[in-house]
Amino acid sequence: MAEPIAAQRRRSAALRAGLAGRARQFLLRPEASVIVVSAALVAYFELVNANFLTDANLQTLSQFVAAPVIIACGEIMLLICREIDLSVGQVFALAPFVMGYAHLFGLPVIAAIVVALAVSALIGLIIGLITIGLGVPSFITTLGMLFLVNGVTLTISRGFPANVPGGPTLGGVMGAWGYSEILWALAIVAIMHVVLRHTRWGLHTVAIGGNPVAAAEAGIAIDRIKIGNFVLTSALGGFTGLLEAFRVGSADPLAGGSNIMFLGVASGVIGGTAIAGGAGTILGGLIGGIMLGVLQDGFTLQGINAFTFNIIIGAAILVAMVANIHLARRRRRSAE
Amino acid sequence: MNAAAAIRAENLTKVFGTVTALAGVSMEVGHGETLGILGDNGAGKSTLLKILTGYHQPDSGQVFVDERPVRLASVDEARALGIECVYQDLALVDGLSVYHNLFLNRELLRRGPFRLLDHKAMRRQAEAALAEIGVVVPSVEIEVGALSGGQRQAIAVARAVHSNARILLLDEPLAAMGAREAQQIIGLIARLKARGDIAIVMIAHNYAQTLEICDRVILMQHGEITFESAAAATSAAELLDIVRREYRAARGG
Repeated sequence: MAEPIAAQRRRSAALRAGLAGRARQFLLRPEASVIVVSAALVAYFELVNANFLTDANLQTLSQFVAAPVIIACGEIMLLICREIDLSVGQVFALAPFVMGYAHLFGLPVIAAIVVALAVSALIGLIIGLITIGLGVPSFITTLGMLFLVNGVTLTISRGFPANVPGGPTLGGVMGAWGYSEILWALAIVAIMHVVLRHTRWGLHTVAIGGNPVAAAEAGIAIDRIKIGNFVLTSALGGFTGLLEAFRVGSADPLAGGSNIMFLGVASGVIGGTAIAGGAGTILGGLIGGIMLGVLQDGFTLQGINAFTFNIIIGAAILVAMVANIHLARRRRRSAE
Repeated sequence: MNAAAAIRAENLTKVFGTVTALAGVSMEVGHGETLGILGDNGAGKSTLLKILTGYHQPDSGQVFVDERPVRLASVDEARALGIECVYQDLALVDGLSVYHNLFLNRELLRRGPFRLLDHKAMRRQAEAALAEIGVVVPSVEIEVGALSGGQRQAIAVARAVHSNARILLLDEPLAAMGAREAQQIIGLIARLKARGDIAIVMIAHNYAQTLEICDRVILMQHGEITFESAAAATSAAELLDIVRREYRAARGG
């Protein structure tokens, strides 16, 4: 039976309006603009340089992306509950040496990895206890920890790189194979996305950042969650350091540092995480990390030097922030 | 007055340093009754409310819940007895949805080893809970920050009721609200009263509105109750007159 044409038209108009509404909703999300910009950048780099979308370059790109994205997962949790960890890049550098020494003392490599992660987590615990227990702002606690951990790494390594232990299989799984680091990053992103969106831990992290008084009033254990997020961030920092050491094949006392920490924070912020807390997504951090990686890799292929690159990254962060603040305002208006 | 009070306070006193916040205050509210507490800033209204929520402990005096003497040593203990306080602006997390706010720290979890949030069940129950007391929002998935002041206050009240509050304390529920928004809250309080099982105590500044909402009002001045009346038996003009007289007497010394 034929439908009356008017009804058909109405239906397709409603469908179009629904699609347009959904598209508009999508574009108002903080991550959307970053996805659009990333896609445009990929298209641009492929156009000006045919080597961009090749297997070899995708491996390089994935290595640019992986480490900041894993760091971002921790920093996003902290930023959402109104804290930050500036020392995560120094834990990144320390962890491979802890693993190396644990192995030298006779532990099997896997156990040495566990020890390195435990030491990283312990640093996070100390940061958390000082920040929460003594009421020192985490900006200050982790600034102190930044120098302290860096000094420890330089002292125990005497400033020299060291070999990483383990056979080729373990090394391959832990980062030496071209795509293993990005696979770890994607797995961690998936887990942390579920933690943030689908567990009480994540929901309470958002509540603490959104309204600490209301969170306390509802009986949420604010201290426990903040300390837990410090531990998580440091452990992820240490893990990323291990991956990078296995990839490069040696532990470098100058690896990571503030650079990797700021790339992690920038990935989160570009992806829509609010510096003031209360809002942010892990997927946004992934997208922000991809955008920074595409920029870094694309301009490297084009032969733009590192100095110019910093100018571009700085501008990208500023543009993303302005866009996010603008979109947040638009979103609020459209919800009313 | 009801035979068995839902909550009753006897001779409460509280001194902060050199300031006497409460100088022997007694009050009671029955099930299904609404009591309005009026008075200027510093009259002791907030101190009284904070003692009833377990936030402050009185220096002397006794609180009874269902005629049993209780010691409200903390907010949690008061809450366990069914006493919930709704503070304007303090209660909600703007960045979270309506249903997340309703279930804050009482989230429903799915079965399974990972104890994930059961968003679907929370949405459904939130819709039912809001419908039951006639609170209208565009969607329970909308962020609370996008709602009006009246809607937010209604959500905060709904959360207290949803967590089985039997004694509801409202701290200036109509402050900073337009006429239409205030009307929403007034309607909500009337519906809660009609259920008959909830005792409501509200602090307010606006005499006319308080008389409209409440069954009974008390007037507090300098930490004491200076006037008490059924709402129907008094008027805003009479209350204002009492306050003015007191003010003149205090100034005249």
